[in-house]
Amino acid sequence: MSYSKENVESIVNNGLSRRSFLKGLAASGVLSSFPGGILQANEDLNTKIPYLGEKSYKTFRNACPRNCYDTCSIKTYVKDGVMQFIEGATESTYTRGGCCVKGNSYVKRVYSARRLKFPMMQVGGKGSGNWKRISWDQAMDIIAKKLLEMKKEDGTLLGAALTKYSGNFGITHYGIEGMFNSIGYTTRLAGTPCWPAGIDAQNLDMGDMWCNDPEEMKDSKFIILWGVNPASNSIHSMKYIYEAKKKGAKVVVIDPVFTEAASKASQYIQIKAGTDGLLALGMAKIIIDANLHDQKWLDANSKGYKEYKAYLDKEIKLDNVSKITGIPLAMIKELALSFAKAKPATIWMGYGMQRHTNGGSMIRAIDAFVAVSGNIGKYAGGARYGHLNTWGFNYAALSMPKPEGSVGYTGPEGAKGDVAQGKDAKSNYTDRFLNINKTARELINAKEPKVRLLWVACKNVFAQDFDRNQLIRAFQQLDLVVVADQFFNETAKWADIVLPVATQFEEYDVNVSYWHYWLTLNEQAIKPLFEVKSDLEIAAMLSKRMNQLQAGSCTFPQSVDTKAMMVKEFNPGIYEQFGIKSWEELKNGPVKAKAVIPYADGKFKTPSGKFEFYSDKALELFGSALPTYLEVRKPYDKFRMTSPHSRWSLHSQFQNLEWMEDVHPEPYVYINPDDAEAKMVKEGDTVAVFNKQGLLRVKAKLTDNVQAGTVLMYEQWYNNNIYNVNELIDDTSSDMGAFKTGAPGVALHDTFVNFRKL
Amino acid sequence: MQTIQPQDRSRLDELKHLRDIFNAQNSKELKIAFGALHSCLEISEEDLEVQFNRYFVGPMEPIADPFASIYIDDPDVVMSKSTLHVRELYETMGFTNPLKNIIPDDHLGVELDAYYQLLYLEEAKGITYLSDLRHYFLHEHLSLWVPRFIARALEHSEHDSKAMTFILLQLKSLLIRETTTQGVTA
Ligand code: SF4
Repeated sequence: MSYSKENVESIVNNGLSRRSFLKGLAASGVLSSFPGGILQANEDLNTKIPYLGEKSYKTFRNACPRNCYDTCSIKTYVKDGVMQFIEGATESTYTRGGCCVKGNSYVKRVYSARRLKFPMMQVGGKGSGNWKRISWDQAMDIIAKKLLEMKKEDGTLLGAALTKYSGNFGITHYGIEGMFNSIGYTTRLAGTPCWPAGIDAQNLDMGDMWCNDPEEMKDSKFIILWGVNPASNSIHSMKYIYEAKKKGAKVVVIDPVFTEAASKASQYIQIKAGTDGLLALGMAKIIIDANLHDQKWLDANSKGYKEYKAYLDKEIKLDNVSKITGIPLAMIKELALSFAKAKPATIWMGYGMQRHTNGGSMIRAIDAFVAVSGNIGKYAGGARYGHLNTWGFNYAALSMPKPEGSVGYTGPEGAKGDVAQGKDAKSNYTDRFLNINKTARELINAKEPKVRLLWVACKNVFAQDFDRNQLIRAFQQLDLVVVADQFFNETAKWADIVLPVATQFEEYDVNVSYWHYWLTLNEQAIKPLFEVKSDLEIAAMLSKRMNQLQAGSCTFPQSVDTKAMMVKEFNPGIYEQFGIKSWEELKNGPVKAKAVIPYADGKFKTPSGKFEFYSDKALELFGSALPTYLEVRKPYDKFRMTSPHSRWSLHSQFQNLEWMEDVHPEPYVYINPDDAEAKMVKEGDTVAVFNKQGLLRVKAKLTDNVQAGTVLMYEQWYNNNIYNVNELIDDTSSDMGAFKTGAPGVALHDTFVNFRKL
Repeated sequence: MQTIQPQDRSRLDELKHLRDIFNAQNSKELKIAFGALHSCLEISEEDLEVQFNRYFVGPMEPIADPFASIYIDDPDVVMSKSTLHVRELYETMGFTNPLKNIIPDDHLGVELDAYYQLLYLEEAKGITYLSDLRHYFLHEHLSLWVPRFIARALEHSEHDSKAMTFILLQLKSLLIRETTTQGVTA
């Protein structure tokens, strides 16, 4: 038999021939003869309209929820139910029609062949790689039975632990905490690995962490980017910095590493890591001595300035500042004086600087410098770090009551992470909090009851937490590890059950930023692929099964529609703040919170109501009321190792996509040429980087972007590569964090290593 | 109604069993479809599924993804150009896909289903209305990628699974038979 290719292609591709073909098909009775399988006979062939395919795009509103400063507002183009491309929403002046390379790859992420597709169970034990498909019902049955069995045996559900962090910052994603709230008192890995020392510092100084609108930076006259690299990690902020620079502002980057942002600045100052606080104290002293400080503002709005000044007078010697920071004194003076003379001037502090054993105290010292210069509470000024002031949602998905008779923890209570979780006022119990930054050892050491079940959501524990060898041990001793994710990563490898999770394009949500002031609706743009489900749907299914097995054992709704849950998150306060009457208005595009200058009214949320140079709380918690100089951790090996974010990933997200792998396929250790020469390492050599924690084999790249004495390796998970920089990082804490987020941060950048050519 | 010849019956059956293997949702369905292929291999339900998942499903990166787009358009993504091309072909063939936008239309199991149904119309029902489309589908689509899929999966003999090799060889011989028993003229 023969066939004609042209003939068929003309039928398929040409509307009119297709029309007559379909007409004939319907008339010929073929349809009634189809034997039936997955594909069904199409009884509704509409031959009246020539079939042209669904050529036009439908558009949807989405947001990028992946823990990036920029939290882009996205417009998604869908044709015949398939995402075709996305673009940054033009309505948001911040996103302004563009996304970054990661965001632009979303179609490839959603349709990645590597996505988890079905719920699966590892049948040969954790790490065996022997996986079996299970239905959602089976998965929920296994988990629900385990939870109820634990509750029966332990008399409490404190043996069930949740670890969740930054894979999705959509508001309804707090429903995962809600799911754990709804089964009883449980164990939470609390705190944040990201920004706690700085949060504490700003709360001590100003009673809040609240930054000016980044869009104002276009009108700043002097900008210091201190330990932050927006050219890589907040690209949308760069346009304001460029605009300011074009208008004559000076832009200075202070960083131990010559970053992409440094290459765009007016001046780059290479500082010795961990000495930033001292530099800030020195600069404050310089401007006070030059009488360039804002005495009027200080008198009206601050507490403890006198003590602070006395400390600077007595303890801060400028020669020492220069020697310790590695910056010539003349340069420090010029920087401090020109900053003080330029009004408004602002400092943006990144999250890297606070990842030292003296991180919180360094942020306090910089806050103090900005305050002394009179730039707090001013348009286009401010000590910028981040904010949660547009996050006043209902947290409806989070706020679930405990089941009747729940028994919990009675030990000392700790704080609970970024978003406070409601404590039942009538109860004598709380959840049990373990330090997220010491996950491995906390899981191993938790007793009475010991942790038996771990639920991992929005998080790749093995890429984000420390001490990998201990982590493997911790996972192995757990009865059941459930990993809900979009990709099979290092953590999923050590799970018993993996659950495939929807992307933001497959569910409803709402997003705001911890940096800019925009609010974005996230609509469901496509059907969930394969058998993926949203975290909220998973919670509802678990609730249903638990209640079937034991009525009243879970208070989470037993069926949930992500849209309905999203709607519940809004309240009059949010509408008022963003100037809208209904969430539906967000379908027209994102909206921005009404203009506000933090602390412009001189009101601070500190105990004194003022900016506190002298903080009793700081004295009580951290032993020093003033922002003083605290020496950084002493080296315990030859080279300091920093592990910043790269521009191709957000922690471990995105790096596994082909576009990123094309440009950044493998990890490197970046070494200063002088250090490399001393160790006889050449570009491209494989070296062993090692310390007391572990050893990594990785190729060398030589660059004087990093200082002699320092090596740099990006933090992230590389697909099909066992590299994980956290193998070299111990979980030593930074000085602050326990005040507001429940646990101190990790002094990631106070890691020391040695290396040799292999 | 025409009488179906025994050789056509086995041709159809084999196609159906292979289809069912790739569409199985659990070990039981997989084992039944595998058993129906008359393999004399002894293998437990669980082992069969574990091996099948390692080759074709995941959750880790499978040895060979069973989607046409991976071999024709882009090795990393599904739902791309060829998926939508197959979608249009199905629509022209008179099929409606209840799993549209859930399972990519060019999943091997779905494609084998389409091919099976078209062949059934011809061989069991004597309806040749769609045979041009079936040949087009076979020669211009299935033949473009299924051999590459088979080759990739067979290449990884370090994972040496007799059961998977058997499935792949059955698929290979079916494809050879289908493409060679029917002449092609442009
Ligand atoms: S990663 Fe950041 S910059 Fe990129 S799209 Fe997402 S929010 Fe925007």
